[in-house]
Parts: sequence; C-alpha cells; structure tokens
Amino acid sequence: MTIVYLVILAAVLALVIWNLFTEEKLQNQLTAMMVIIPLVLRLLMIK
Amino acid sequence: MKRHHITAIVLLVVVAAISVYTGGIFLSLREPDVIKPGEGVTEVRKLSDYFAPLKGTRGDTDVYVLKGEQEGGKVLVLGGTHANEPSGYLTAVVLVEQAKVTAGELIVIPRANNSAFTHNDSQEGAPLYVHFTNAAGEERQFRYGSRASNVIDQWPDPDVYEHASSGQQLSGSETRNLNRGYPGRADGNLTEQMCYAITEMIKKEDIGLTFDLHEASPEYPVINATVAHERSMDIAAMGSFDLDMMGIAMSLEPSPVNLRGLTHRELGDFTDTYPLLMETANASQGRLRGATNEKLALDGKDKYYVSAEALGMLYVPYDENGHSIEERVGRHLQGVLSYTTAYNDLYGEVVTIENVPTYDVMLAAKLGDYLN
Repeated sequence: MTIVYLVILAAVLALVIWNLFTEEKLQNQLTAMMVIIPLVLRLLMIK
Repeated sequence: MKRHHITAIVLLVVVAAISVYTGGIFLSLREPDVIKPGEGVTEVRKLSDYFAPLKGTRGDTDVYVLKGEQEGGKVLVLGGTHANEPSGYLTAVVLVEQAKVTAGELIVIPRANNSAFTHNDSQEGAPLYVHFTNAAGEERQFRYGSRASNVIDQWPDPDVYEHASSGQQLSGSETRNLNRGYPGRADGNLTEQMCYAITEMIKKEDIGLTFDLHEASPEYPVINATVAHERSMDIAAMGSFDLDMMGIAMSLEPSPVNLRGLTHRELGDFTDTYPLLMETANASQGRLRGATNEKLALDGKDKYYVSAEALGMLYVPYDENGHSIEERVGRHLQGVLSYTTAYNDLYGEVVTIENVPTYDVMLAAKLGDYLN
C-alpha cells in the first residue's frame, strides 16, 4: 500500500511542478513552491 | 525562455535549498540522544534481543541492565513510552547514569517508543529538545518527541483502531500509541511489535515489578497518581503510604478493567509482573497552556494554568512556581524507590537501588547535577 501511496504522491508532485511552470502569476507560482516542499519531504520518506 | 519559466526555475532552486535544510533537521531528529551509562550499568542490550524482527527498525531501542552482586528480584523501568512526557524519559536517564544496584537487577529502557522520539506532534509547537548543564559545565541535550510512533515508520492509520486481544475500539491514530498496544502481537504493526517485545522481555527475564513513567496535563484527572493493576495494589498502597509520610501527595487509582492496551492492565493480565504506572504534571502537553517552549517543559510556569487553578479546573495544585522538571523527576525517582522497597518487603525478592537522588534532594538541586 505504501508503494501505491508514493506513486500517487509522485504524480501529484509532478502535476504541481508542471503547474509551477505553466502559471504566469508570481503569487500562484509561490503557492506551488510552498506545496512542493512537503511533497518532496514525504516522497523521500523524511517527514 | 519566458519570464515565468525563469521564475519557476529559480523557485525550484529555492525549493531544493529549503528541502535540504529542513530535511536535514528532520533527519537529525532520528539520531538518538547521548546517554552516558554510569558505573552501575553492567550490560547494554537491544529490545530486538527479545524479538528479532525489530532489529534494524526504529522500533528497536537500548535496554540498560544494572545487575547487583547479590542475587535478588528484577525491576523494570520504562521511560519514553510517550516521548512528549519528559519526566518519564529523564527519570530513566538519571537511573542509567547514576543508579547502582547491590542486590537483584534493575532494567531500564529510557526510550520505550524509540520511533516517537524521531518526530514531533503536528501543530503543537513543542520544542525539539530540552537542555541541561551538568556538574562539569557541559551541555546535555535530550529530545522532546511525540506521543506516538512516527507515521514514516508506521502507515496508514486505520479509521478505527481495534485492540487485538480485546476488540476494544479507539480512534485510528491510537494504533501508534505504545500504551494502547499491549500485550502486543508478533505479526502486528510496528507499535504492536514493540509492545510484544517488551512483554516477551518481561516474561523471559521474569521481571517482578514494572514501572511505566508518564506525564499528563494538569487538567487531566489522573495526575500525580499511581495506577495499579489489582495484583499490584498492595505494593502501591504500601508505597503510597511511604510517599505520603514524606509529604508527597500521590493518589492511588485502580487500573480500569475495561480500558485495554495499557501497561497497568495488560502486563498484569498477561505476565506475572506487578505493573505500576505513574503520572506527573506536564503543562507543556496541556490544552490550556500559553507559549509552548523549552522553558515551559522544564519549569511548568504558566499564568493560564494559574488562572485555571483559581477557577477550579485542575486536578493538581498550581501556582506561579509551576511544576519543575526537578520536582517531576524527583517524584518518579522517589516512587521507584518507595514502591521497590514495598515490593521487597511484601515478596522478599530484593532489589536494592542506591545512589539515586530522592525527592527532597532533587527539589534542592538541578537535574543537570545528576547527568554525567
């Protein structure tokens, strides 16, 4: 089950990174940046 | 390249930097605190010695053995069942670093739930560490952790946690609470396996008396108290009388037969040990507290709890002096000494523990004075 969770997590992370590059408004890019941080830490099983 | 693409790349670099910095902090929390065993420690084992599947996991933890030259009984002290209850953990550390056993055997597990020490509870704002200065002027650092096992080590939580041997149902997050998992099971989750290993150790070592050291918020009814299994009640009654003679108020609570998974119930039902659980007052885990920081964890001084006392909302006396870590550790240490004496007198399996500061001594000292 953990593998499924991590695959879903990686997919969400990829979508947020894609959103970071497609967004033209800086505040939306900053929001995406803040969302990416905990996703990265969880994908790496740090936090 | 478009401007927002450049911005995105810059922000990704910022993400990487923040992730490395914060990730480093979170990973450092997994490093166990330095405990400096005193001369009384004759052996250091691992909990996995009693249940091999724990080896290599964060459920494994150090087990300190202090064996006296004379034969006698065996006493176990569990600290750190809840890593956000510092007096339990620190009492066990003081025993490891100071106690000397002349008869029988004292076994101490300072970090009973080692996984709980590797993280903190979300949105509590708790300090990561507490610090003390020892007699040599050196700083000692100890973790202030979480009530439950780390979700990185055990996931997912069920919606409802069902205690394996009784069927009792609790909130799903209680599946990571070590003190809801006893007696544990070999094929359970990590927390249940830790419980199983401790239970197996008690059986294999034929431990006569088991202490589980805790703290509770000042508004919690079971505070400055000892909870005893019905088989342990004679030890608890005799020891409480001794504490009362010293001016230490200690209420005595019977272990509820319908509250399952706790040490004072399950270890009494499933092993031959006499289990006792002790609680002291910890403002830093309470719901009425003000600023949450290391100072509060160590001195317990909080104006909101003083106000709550005036409104009759608390179960422990509370004034501007708070409840210091020295008072709380002193209560636990004196409890261990007094109840062990009662056990010796009642059952003749003598365990003699020396070089441990009593309650009065701790009140007049600093905890760092008893750290190596």
